Amino acid sequence: MPLDYPVHERTLTNGLRVVVSPDPSVPNVTVNIWVGVGSRHEAPGRTGFAHLFEHLMFQGSRNVASGEHFEALMAQGGRLNATTWFDRTNYFETVPKGALELALWLEADRHGHLLDAVNQANLDNQRDVVKEEKRQRYDNQPYGNALIDVYAATFPEGHPYHHPTIGSMEDLDAASLEDVHAFFRRHYAPDNTVLTLCGDVTPDDGFALVERYFGSIEASEEPRRPPVAPLTPLTEPVRVERREDVPNDRLHVAFRLPVDETEEFNAVSLALDALGGLASSRLVRRLVRKEQTALGAHATSWGFVDGVSLGFFVLDIADEVDTDAVERALVEELERFAVEGPTEAEMDAALAQAERGWLSMLASQEERADALSHYTSLHGDPNLVNTHLDRLRAVTPEQVRLAAATWLRPESRAVVAYRADVETEEVA
Amino acid sequence: MSTTTVPRPEVAAPEPWAFPLPQESVTDNGIRLLTYAVPGQYVVSLRLVVPLSLTDEPADREGVAAMTARLLDEGTAEHSSEEFAELMERTGMVLGAAVTDGALSVDVDVPQRFLPQALDLLRQTLAEPAFPQDEVRRILRSRLAEIEQERASAPHRAARELTATLWAPTERASRPAAGTPATISAMGRDDVVEFHRRHIGPRGATLVVAGDLDGVDVADVVATGLGGWTNPDHVPATPARPPVPAGGGARVVLVDRPGSVQSELSVAVPGPDRSVATGWAPYPVLSFMVGGSPSARVDAVLREDKGYTYGIRAAFRPRARGGSFVTAGSVRADATVDALRLLVEILGTAREGFSQAEIRSGVDYVVQTAPGRYATADAVADEASALAIEGLPLDFQTTTLAAMRELDDAALTTAYTDVVTGEWVVVVVGDAASLREGIEGLGLGPVTVVPA
Repeated sequence: MPLDYPVHERTLTNGLRVVVSPDPSVPNVTVNIWVGVGSRHEAPGRTGFAHLFEHLMFQGSRNVASGEHFEALMAQGGRLNATTWFDRTNYFETVPKGALELALWLEADRHGHLLDAVNQANLDNQRDVVKEEKRQRYDNQPYGNALIDVYAATFPEGHPYHHPTIGSMEDLDAASLEDVHAFFRRHYAPDNTVLTLCGDVTPDDGFALVERYFGSIEASEEPRRPPVAPLTPLTEPVRVERREDVPNDRLHVAFRLPVDETEEFNAVSLALDALGGLASSRLVRRLVRKEQTALGAHATSWGFVDGVSLGFFVLDIADEVDTDAVERALVEELERFAVEGPTEAEMDAALAQAERGWLSMLASQEERADALSHYTSLHGDPNLVNTHLDRLRAVTPEQVRLAAATWLRPESRAVVAYRADVETEEVA
Repeated sequence: MSTTTVPRPEVAAPEPWAFPLPQESVTDNGIRLLTYAVPGQYVVSLRLVVPLSLTDEPADREGVAAMTARLLDEGTAEHSSEEFAELMERTGMVLGAAVTDGALSVDVDVPQRFLPQALDLLRQTLAEPAFPQDEVRRILRSRLAEIEQERASAPHRAARELTATLWAPTERASRPAAGTPATISAMGRDDVVEFHRRHIGPRGATLVVAGDLDGVDVADVVATGLGGWTNPDHVPATPARPPVPAGGGARVVLVDRPGSVQSELSVAVPGPDRSVATGWAPYPVLSFMVGGSPSARVDAVLREDKGYTYGIRAAFRPRARGGSFVTAGSVRADATVDALRLLVEILGTAREGFSQAEIRSGVDYVVQTAPGRYATADAVADEASALAIEGLPLDFQTTTLAAMRELDDAALTTAYTDVVTGEWVVVVVGDAASLREGIEGLGLGPVTVVPA
């Protein structure tokens, strides 16, 4: 049965898509904005730029001083941030409803008129901040760069998902003010943007307010590129071997998956759950509980829109265990699953956990607003939020088996192995 | 871009708000039941807390409370560990059990329609855990691996060194809650069985139920689900008390992590808990003004001006009793000494007081974010269970937020200087060879180098 979160949708004449989802349970409103640009749109030599740009959105615009966006909203009880991902960039704040107009005014100022304020000093400062973010989250962490290896191993050179959102130090260094201007003009435009209001606001008021603050921003003439051509599974295994000072061996075993919000993606994500995404999954039962060759086994599927998605297993290998033997066990389980398909218990568990996860996510007004923007921006329809679980429940065990047999074949795996080596110092 | 923008709008005053109050009752087996109806929250959050003190662990088996918690759902009288995992997952529930300095806390989130099944499974974990030998061995082994993982992570390594340096070595709080390699290696199934028998029972326990409970007779469902839980051998926990600080003046511990591209900094001092006699109201506001946002005092300089860090946070961290004031984050390796110098200077300067603008925005931030911070069932349940563990009244948030609105510079400065004496305990995790001399030159007290 579909969920019944209210969804009202309108497109302004400048192309801005607006979604209003009233929820008077708390006297707050979340403003959530998705811009249809992520690291998948970055040009060669400019990796990390979409994210660096997102930082600059907090450094002032035509009528707003550097840092004022944060300060002005927090001083009114606003909680806010922004994130960048492969497919998109989002900006969001939750404010007491009396501060909704201020939030919209601040957002409109930077989404319409950022370039009046961007300068070299801000760019240099935020470039330094982003480099520290990269060091903190990737370079100074054990296994911190493993997913970067996974992207590069799974997707071909030049593919939108070949490089990470954080980018490279060299490319961050190369970013110039001219790049900032060109990027803003190319991607930041009402017709490439979705704005969702979720909370204590009526649809009429919400649409009128968004029109008031965003209506005068001009549409852009920039053509939006269509998704790139679909990728098929890898035809032979790819390996990346790393020897580093890590506490234990860790295997990342990745696969190309079909694009997000397709029947086939839902099916293969349920297969990944049954194999490694649950406490009762096959890999946890066998490797963690029974054979105790792994300290942990996990599986993840990330839906993307540009022709392919990503799924991966992470296996933490126990001390004094043959890591290659654990990989062989994973291969056996993949082969077995492709023949047997999921059991009734596995389907039940995967669906029940998906239900709780989805309802818990939507329980928060902030995340509900984000989901509405997500489905509007990338899939064209906010109502999909209400029917997601129904689509998942409609997947048959045979579809799950077939999706695994198609996309999770052993020869289609990309393996990134981190092996503990206390002898080796830094790898250059 | 030729268009003019609309004038900056005024902000309308927020509506009054209070933390919800629960329906309160006691089950026949002595559990205090707090029921929070939060309409529209379709995933129900259960928080079961049992008062418990880590000082009640045998000294050579420290970590047994945490290991017991982790083993509660790894097999029961009726089901093997595997069966139990499957049962929980098929009912859409997720269960997590952990110990803090004041309690065992078992957290369950579950879609409302599965609430009766979830309560029965919760009872089985509390009343009938079987602690199968194989599972005990596995969980202990994974704790040993976890210790190595934590050692390799700079923030975790810093946190471990900080508690060891902040509190007197005789204090349980100075050592890892989940045990050390020595105590975990010495532990066996009997230790876990015995700890469970003596320390986990319904007496003194509180169960919080929060969510959309439309059509649910909570008292009845709870009585059916948990009514069968008894434990005649349950010994009341030693009451929590603040840990004794190590004392001994300002000092620096430099944890050597050769080749680190960043240094992890922690600057700390013992602090209050939420039942502090002078009132908790100033402390969340102080946390915000000093280190709660990119424009707070610390990051205004270290991030937005210098670009040394992605972000450093300062916060008062209450325990059940006692607490600490910790400023922590990572900085570029070659900027470590200057960053630490600036950080200690900023934290010291705050003793001189705060501007009216800072105070107004700090108070408004904490007070006005409250409705959103406590909008979901899990957030309400988390706070209600924290109140139970700390022995605070159920209207604590509401009265504290009211007191915040009355705060002025004098009250905030007094609250800050009560804690911030200048006698900092500093932990730096980074490349000791390149940092030691520069840090010694800052005059923050003696510098000790320890291996990672």
